[in-house]
Amino acid sequence: MAIIELLDTSKSYRIGEIETRALDDVSLTVDSGEFTALVGPSGSGKTTLLQIIGCLDKPDRGTVTINGKDVTRLNANGRADMRREVIGFIFQFFALVPVLNAYENVELPLLLNGVGAKERRERVMGLLDAVGLADRINNRPDQLSGGQQQRVAIARALAPRPLMVLADEPTANLDTANGEQAMEIMKRLNEQTGTAFIFATHDPRVMAYARRTVNMLDGRIVDDSKKL
Amino acid sequence: MAWTKLWVIAYRDLIRNRRRTFFTLLAVALGLALLIVLNGFIAGILDDALQNSIRLQTGHVQVRAETYEDSRRSLQWKDLVEQPGEIAAQAATMPEVAAATPILWADTILNTSSESVGMQLYGIEPDSAFYDPIRASLVGGNFIEANDRGGVMIGKRMADSLGLKLGENVSLTTINADGVPEEGIFAIRGIFDSGVLVYDEATVFMPIAKAQSFALTGDRASTIIMLLHDENDADQVAAAVTAPGLQALTWRELNAVFLETMGTAMSFYWILDGIVMLIVAVIIANTLLMAVFERIREMGILSALGMKRRQVMQMMIFEASIISLAGIILGLAIGLGFVALLTQNGFVMGEMAGSTPTIPLSAVVYAKFAPETFAWLAVWTFIIALLASLYPAWFAARLEPVKALHAS
Repeated sequence: MAIIELLDTSKSYRIGEIETRALDDVSLTVDSGEFTALVGPSGSGKTTLLQIIGCLDKPDRGTVTINGKDVTRLNANGRADMRREVIGFIFQFFALVPVLNAYENVELPLLLNGVGAKERRERVMGLLDAVGLADRINNRPDQLSGGQQQRVAIARALAPRPLMVLADEPTANLDTANGEQAMEIMKRLNEQTGTAFIFATHDPRVMAYARRTVNMLDGRIVDDSKKL
Repeated sequence: MAWTKLWVIAYRDLIRNRRRTFFTLLAVALGLALLIVLNGFIAGILDDALQNSIRLQTGHVQVRAETYEDSRRSLQWKDLVEQPGEIAAQAATMPEVAAATPILWADTILNTSSESVGMQLYGIEPDSAFYDPIRASLVGGNFIEANDRGGVMIGKRMADSLGLKLGENVSLTTINADGVPEEGIFAIRGIFDSGVLVYDEATVFMPIAKAQSFALTGDRASTIIMLLHDENDADQVAAAVTAPGLQALTWRELNAVFLETMGTAMSFYWILDGIVMLIVAVIIANTLLMAVFERIREMGILSALGMKRRQVMQMMIFEASIISLAGIILGLAIGLGFVALLTQNGFVMGEMAGSTPTIPLSAVVYAKFAPETFAWLAVWTFIIALLASLYPAWFAARLEPVKALHAS
């Protein structure tokens, strides 16, 4: 079942006098449970595509349907609802809230979704256990390594049980071992939960994990292939 | 989202930059403390001046001839009260009245061998309780006696400035009831130091019987002055003692000019209060804006997680609430501490006390607790602080998630 449908989606940015076309008539469909890599060189439009799918930004043209709803018609609050309920994010720079500990960071999206206290605790502990950080729940981000922080971010992204997790260069700030560990965890959770993972990367080792690879260049999709 | 978590984030954001939070909190505290001390001091001045005026000049109720005008100090018989002793005695029987006594007022010039000074002559019943404060402030000689035909009392400040000593003779000149200048020589029997400079500088007391004969007023008086146990009974007593041809005035009417002057002065203090609160508001707004600028990426993260603009605003307002409430508690402690100190030790007014003739200030003024005013100041400080947080909160809430996430 398609959870993401982009049709002729374009997005341009103006920097000074120069207009850059970040997305150029992109059409893409992603089904539930996919483990998809968006690959391409810097400036190819991977991050812009993720931001538009993630309702963080709006396209200039085209339609974007997430879980059956045209999100280009939503206002700021509507997009916030969509992000909160069906989308999880993992960022290159980990993006944890620095004043909250690991437990509280994972709990935050559940609080935003109004999940009850008992279920919150179960989900948070289950996910922190799944990413191997059950013993670090009271540590704040500055007391965790980069790899540990990214694992907390993975747990946080999955906490509200989203339809999809969007990861922008999730291993770019990690060493090889931690990068592989993060990818292994994402892959395992993808298989266990059925949550679709779409990650932007230009790291060949990360691409190797993907079952589908969408190749981008100059804002266009130039190749879309699935592993058999 | 549970508000408790927003409070937690707000609180932890504040302790993340402890130094900045502390100085902002201190600014709120000192601002409020300044307002409390200022207003406690003003309340003290108002009370001191009003009580001095009532105690030493106006009393709570006065009965005068209908035609008597305060500004003219007329000694014409038609402007004076006849048989004042009887009216005073009758008033004194009322349970609300603590003391009632006739007074004859006259403008007079005090002459020494080298100087002449304009003064107010008070013809008084020396035995009246109304003069207990003056009796208690005697610093030399004796309080004049009712049958003394040749003695007066003057204030220490006047005695010092003219170089007059106890027992020394002075000449007093007044325009009598017939409009003719009258001069008499009087010995200084006593010197008082009431602490109220306008009295200590410009009042001379003599027994009313002598004053009446000196000014040729017969047994008439300018007024019958009454002190009450409770100032709130003034209207009731005034209604009871008035009679045809007489007017009864309460302390509010008798101090109308003073109260009006103080009302005008208070509006300046309110402006000052407003300025201090605005400074506090600017400091809070600045701190919160700094906090937002420092955490733009964090705002982006919260937004990416689905936090709504309203919730971001709430979080920032919570931060302002925490700083303000902590600052207000500290400010109340500091402010009330200083007011308590000033209620005990007072503030030496020095020359300032005598600088405004319509405001009879004591040489040492004590602050006064004004709980209602202090409570309003605290409430307004809180409201202003919250209003000041609206712009930073709005700014944070309007951040675009994509731009915020990529902020450096």
